[in-house]
Amino acid sequence: MASTAEKKGFWSVIWEYLTTVDHKKIAILYLIAGGIFFLMGGIEAMLIRLQLAIPNNDFLSAGLFNEVLTMHGTTMIFLAAMPLLFAFMNATVPLQIGARDVAFPFLNSLGVWLFIFGGIFLNLSWVMGGAPDAGWTSYASLAIDSPGHGIDFYAIGLQITGFGTLISGINFITTIITMRAPGMTYMRMPLMTWTTLVASVLIVFAFPPLTIGIFLLMFDRMFGSSFFLVETGGNTIIWEHLFWIFGHPEVYILILPAFGIFSEIFSTFSRKRLFGYSAMVFATVLIGFFGFMVWAHHMFTVGLGPTANAIFAIATMAIAVPTGIKIFNWIATVWGGSIEFTTPMLYALAFIPSFVMGGVTGVMQAAAPADYQYHDSYFIVAHFHYVIVGGVVFGLLAGLHYYWPLMFATMLNETLGKISFALFVTGFHVTFLIQHFLGLWGMPRRVFTFLDGQGYNTANLVSTIGAFMMALAVIILLVNIVMTVAQNKRVARDPWGDGRTLEWSLPLPVPYYNFAQTPLIRGLDAYWIEKKENNGQMLPAESLDDFHMPNNSILPFIISAGLFIAGFGALYLASGREWAIEAVSDLPQHPWAIWVLITGLLITFISMGIRSWKDDLGYYVTKEEVLNDLEEQERGGK
Amino acid sequence: MAEIKQEPMSQKKLEYIRRERTKEMRLQLISFAMMIFLTFIAFGLVALDFDEAFVTPVVLGLAFLQVILQFFYFMHMKDKGHEFIKLMMLVGMFFAISFCVTFVYIVWIGAPI
Repeated sequence: MASTAEKKGFWSVIWEYLTTVDHKKIAILYLIAGGIFFLMGGIEAMLIRLQLAIPNNDFLSAGLFNEVLTMHGTTMIFLAAMPLLFAFMNATVPLQIGARDVAFPFLNSLGVWLFIFGGIFLNLSWVMGGAPDAGWTSYASLAIDSPGHGIDFYAIGLQITGFGTLISGINFITTIITMRAPGMTYMRMPLMTWTTLVASVLIVFAFPPLTIGIFLLMFDRMFGSSFFLVETGGNTIIWEHLFWIFGHPEVYILILPAFGIFSEIFSTFSRKRLFGYSAMVFATVLIGFFGFMVWAHHMFTVGLGPTANAIFAIATMAIAVPTGIKIFNWIATVWGGSIEFTTPMLYALAFIPSFVMGGVTGVMQAAAPADYQYHDSYFIVAHFHYVIVGGVVFGLLAGLHYYWPLMFATMLNETLGKISFALFVTGFHVTFLIQHFLGLWGMPRRVFTFLDGQGYNTANLVSTIGAFMMALAVIILLVNIVMTVAQNKRVARDPWGDGRTLEWSLPLPVPYYNFAQTPLIRGLDAYWIEKKENNGQMLPAESLDDFHMPNNSILPFIISAGLFIAGFGALYLASGREWAIEAVSDLPQHPWAIWVLITGLLITFISMGIRSWKDDLGYYVTKEEVLNDLEEQERGGK
Repeated sequence: MAEIKQEPMSQKKLEYIRRERTKEMRLQLISFAMMIFLTFIAFGLVALDFDEAFVTPVVLGLAFLQVILQFFYFMHMKDKGHEFIKLMMLVGMFFAISFCVTFVYIVWIGAPI
């Protein structure tokens, strides 16, 4: 079957990745696709900062600025941050719990292809008549008015990626609940697994409101309904509620796995057990739970009334408590540890003060009366970049360096890593610290330019300089990646030397079946225990025998491609129809649209039918093959 | 394509499973009968033209009872190995109800509170 030793041609590698159901290869797909979208979102950020570098700039027109701004936010949240986190979840979670794959490998593959096709669909808007321009929140009053098809690309693109995310969330919950190795109780799971579990639960509860909201928007824009059209009895506030019922848990979906990555890094490079493990687990669950009760703090100025505002303000402030527990636990983990300043550890250490600053401004905004002042100013922009860049992006970069050997069996260059770390962190603070003050001085957010003589000039220029430092840091990181891949210097088992959790007990590159024998887990930090109290080998929990693995399949790719095609049909359906909203009723008619829609859906449903009615029972990895591999590892030396 | 490897069941195990299934079936039938009976009471109360202030809460209470019976006996919430599912359902219901309450108060009724 999937023998790793033989040399493969280019096309067979492509085919392998198109059809793969292996969580490690899917992680690589998420990493590559998410990385490309991260770079696109970064370029959009640079365009924004260039436009705002000097007053009265006309580098971008106002309309184009709105498009770039919208696409920056949407791309970074949906197409960069979440998929990159999924990359690390896929790469680590099955290995951390001692499973041979996720619970539903087929769905895992479907999730990644839905995300990739949705992302491509959204970004095709640039070359197909204009990108969405109503902000990443796409408030319905703006979105319904926006002329052309930009918002339709947003709605359909996000709907397709959203299905993928929901599927992956269900997959991870099932995997973690049902596929843990013997001895891996809930309270022995590494923090990365715990945060993945809680984030997946949040995905399952938070994405349906988004799906519903986007469906309503799609119906309004493409099929002539009027959920949000005020003149025919609709209500645009419904969109805001639905969006933020999803949108607030979404930021916890992003930050919790980043917390997980940091927890692993802190304990590994302090060579200490994570301080207050059970409190950390409790805080994670509590953050997840509170995350659903606070969405209206994005809507304080909508006019919900003082009682409603007060309830949501207090609930919001309450989240600072479990987050504080986590911060103190991380500090106590590092305290008195034998600290090793590797690149991931540096990111983790820089994360603590940066994230605390973002958190403190968060509590400031949670005070509803004060929020009337901060609302829609650059203070908000500074706040959420402090938590998302200072929390999530630092986490992603730390995770990239930390898990790189696990994913590719090579090590990223530490010197270059430290240079890009220094540049990125400095650039980040230079860019966003000053934006707090810009906001307090009264600069509104989402403006495409500002006038001279208002006192915003220097601060905006400083911010732009900082942004370019971050860009330089990312370029150095890319050089580092290219160099590492080109040199291809292989590392062996436990490359950091201090691996604590189960994934580091595996030989590198990890065999496609992960574990020759399912390991027996004897406590938290399973691998560390075996290193200290045993010979550094995991104890097997089963005798060596044949085991069952799933077959590769092209169907997930075809199912996703079908939805992608159907998306274009839905998009052009309302063009020029008299029942359509004003935004698209002047455009030329496309009579073929309905047929494209039907064809796309047929492709999807027929492939789903094939999957349902044609049995695919997988195959067995034989004992002989595993024994061969084990022998080779022995001979290859550790 | 490989076949799924299966071991034949021992006689003891088969008997045990049979016994469990008989018990399960009896429970299903009893709870089904109870539900029909509860529904019958609800219809009866309405048909007999009792006072509305009495009928509404009683019917709602019976409906609540029905939901619990449904979840526990027909949807296997009482069975072993369903703890996490139970937790997820309860949390999900809690969220859904709170969303609905908010929507009713601040969107549908619409007056600021």
